[in-house]
Amino acid sequence: MTYLTPGDPPKRIKKFVAIIAVAALAFTIRLVDLQIVQAEAINEISYANRAVTRTLPAIRGEILDSQGEILARTVYRYDINAAPSKVGPVTRSVGGQDVLVPVEQIAQEIAVLLGTTAEDVLLKIAGTGEYAQIQKSVDADAYRKIRALNIPWLYYDPIPDRLYPNGAVAGNLLGFLGAEGQAQEGLELSFDKCLAGANGEETFEKGVDGIKIPSSTITTKPAVNGKNLHLTIDADLQYYAQQVLTDTVAYRKADWAMAVVIEVKTGKILAAAEAPSVDPNDPGAVSVDDRGSRIFRFAFEPGSTLKSVTAATAIDQGKATPETQVSAPYGWKVPGTGYLVTDSHMHPVEKLTLTGILRDSSNTGIMIVGKEVDYKTRYTYLKKFGLGQKTNVGYPGEEVGLLNSLENWDGIKKYVSMFGQGISVTPIQSAMMYQAIANDGKRLWPTLVEGCEDSSGNMVKPASREGVQAISPSTAASTMDMLEKVVEQGPIGKTAGIPGYRVAGKTGTAQIARAGGGYSGRYAVSFVGIAPVDDPQYVVAVTVYQPRTINNSLGATPPFKSIMQQVLRTYRVPPSTTKSANIATEW
Amino acid sequence: MSIANLRPARFEAIRPTLSIAGLRASRPGMFFGGTVAIGALTIAILNLLLHIATSNAVYELSSIQKEKKELITTTQILGEQVDSLSSQQNLSNSAQKLGMISNSNPVFLRLADQKVFGKPKAALNTAGRVSRNLVPNAALIQQSTMLAPVAEVLTVAKEPTTAGNVAKTNTAAGQVISFGGAIPASPTH
Repeated sequence: MTYLTPGDPPKRIKKFVAIIAVAALAFTIRLVDLQIVQAEAINEISYANRAVTRTLPAIRGEILDSQGEILARTVYRYDINAAPSKVGPVTRSVGGQDVLVPVEQIAQEIAVLLGTTAEDVLLKIAGTGEYAQIQKSVDADAYRKIRALNIPWLYYDPIPDRLYPNGAVAGNLLGFLGAEGQAQEGLELSFDKCLAGANGEETFEKGVDGIKIPSSTITTKPAVNGKNLHLTIDADLQYYAQQVLTDTVAYRKADWAMAVVIEVKTGKILAAAEAPSVDPNDPGAVSVDDRGSRIFRFAFEPGSTLKSVTAATAIDQGKATPETQVSAPYGWKVPGTGYLVTDSHMHPVEKLTLTGILRDSSNTGIMIVGKEVDYKTRYTYLKKFGLGQKTNVGYPGEEVGLLNSLENWDGIKKYVSMFGQGISVTPIQSAMMYQAIANDGKRLWPTLVEGCEDSSGNMVKPASREGVQAISPSTAASTMDMLEKVVEQGPIGKTAGIPGYRVAGKTGTAQIARAGGGYSGRYAVSFVGIAPVDDPQYVVAVTVYQPRTINNSLGATPPFKSIMQQVLRTYRVPPSTTKSANIATEW
Repeated sequence: MSIANLRPARFEAIRPTLSIAGLRASRPGMFFGGTVAIGALTIAILNLLLHIATSNAVYELSSIQKEKKELITTTQILGEQVDSLSSQQNLSNSAQKLGMISNSNPVFLRLADQKVFGKPKAALNTAGRVSRNLVPNAALIQQSTMLAPVAEVLTVAKEPTTAGNVAKTNTAAGQVISFGGAIPASPTH
């Protein structure tokens, strides 16, 4: 038997082996090229195809009151979305039987939970697209109920949202965020650096079916949550003050009203209430003007509450004492101007002491005493009492008030400024003038924020600022004694008295300046008071703007009294045990 | 050249060495191959077991994370309800429902000489205009129904033992402790 074997078999084998070797080499080179040379680039392309990057939202810090009560915090809301292209009946197991639930019924179930109509839901999920939003920002409860329906073509996006659990309580201070979560107003805006965190990032891999591969999540950049902002405000006191002011505005048919409570020895703002006030959960419910805080932004001529500063200046300069005698006429011609300044009511010439002038709030009397002090000196006192400068309390857009440069003080301004005309102050400036009088003459800087606290409990406090000694302690004591007579004996001041407590204070009925000059027929009525006089602890300043049922400080003393009583109860201040100074008010 | 020096050098060099090739060379090879195969198999099995264990852990982790998410949602839902119930607005409304209204005429007691300041007057709903809540709160999603507290009060009232305890407590807590001039908190709960 002969086998026909063409050629040389060993040679053929060698050739075959050589071909295999070349092919293997080629594959090896390609393998090295893919696995080593291009490996990184290919991996990147591959990873990019299956990897999904997601933002890890940082949780914004909380805002808390002085007692640790949460005034603002972040919660999650959920956008309810659908993929219209996948909308269809859903199979459900009912009593062990698979039942096909039609789209119309599902739409009805969703609508009930979202408080809308089935037609609305059906309209939104119609079409062939991959995305349709059924409802935005649904609360967690509704979200959970909808998810429990197990509808495969629904999906949900968690969105961080801001919640203000107490509504409009301190809403004027807190401010609010915009639709995209950006700070827009109030402390949310001015302390955004403290409250806002830094968003992080994570990536995860998904399969061909688009489903996340477990354990593939990698946090590439961890989210850093915001810090907590602690306020000096007492939320309960703030609520009470807002209740009182809301009632006052309605009762007096006023434009607005505000009240500030200051702790005398620290300058802390315990309440800064306004009515109307914004509910930061729904800022659109009030007008733009009511969404901020007038306490820091609205400057107006204070009127007679400034007489206390004029009297204190005269005493501090040695030009008067509480019992300096003055004959106060109804009208007094301002020297060198031709202007006649009158008191608010007609009266014969009254023989008043400086204390009596404050008690009766005599414009003519205070000018006669005040003119004894050079106007340049009085100007420096006004500066020392904080007029014409921001308190820098940390509220955005704080108004500076109007205290023209000395060169611009014309003849009449040198005089009318003594009873609070021609200059303007914000309510916080006004309250701090009285804080200085109550604090042995030393004006402190008001504080609204205790500090910014990180997750480890480290509190960064605002830089402390040295107070200003506006008047001497003895002058401050004399001024307190005089102001106490306003409440003890004053026709209107009496209504601010609190049984058992020594209270000092001053009324203010300021004409409201017109934009084009002159004054309107409306008033801003105020009362600023201090209690207890034997150990001054709290200042309460109340202003009711443009009341239509009253034109004097009787519109401000009842809310002052209510709020001061609440302050004394809240901080458990015992009733006074001493009596007021024996000072003559008339001669 | 002497004959004695002639040696079959080449013969010696090429003489085949006799050895039991199958016995000496193939046995260690088999042993080595077997060891490698068993080792590889062991590694593969261990890898499989490890993979199963890891996969289980991953799914367990995923399940725990899901549960955590659910619990966070539950916490938020409950937190919002608590926020609503403890808000000043709800408390004010609830107090009013229970017949408690703010008295605009408080009376103060000076402990030093036990003197009462002010004239006590009953709080009237008409006089105290601020007795109802006036401050808006759009976040008020839940309000107290007051049914439970009333039921509790009724239950307590029907139980003489509990009432007896309350009376005892009041007697024991009748002492007023001084706190450096400030009015002490009432011991009554």
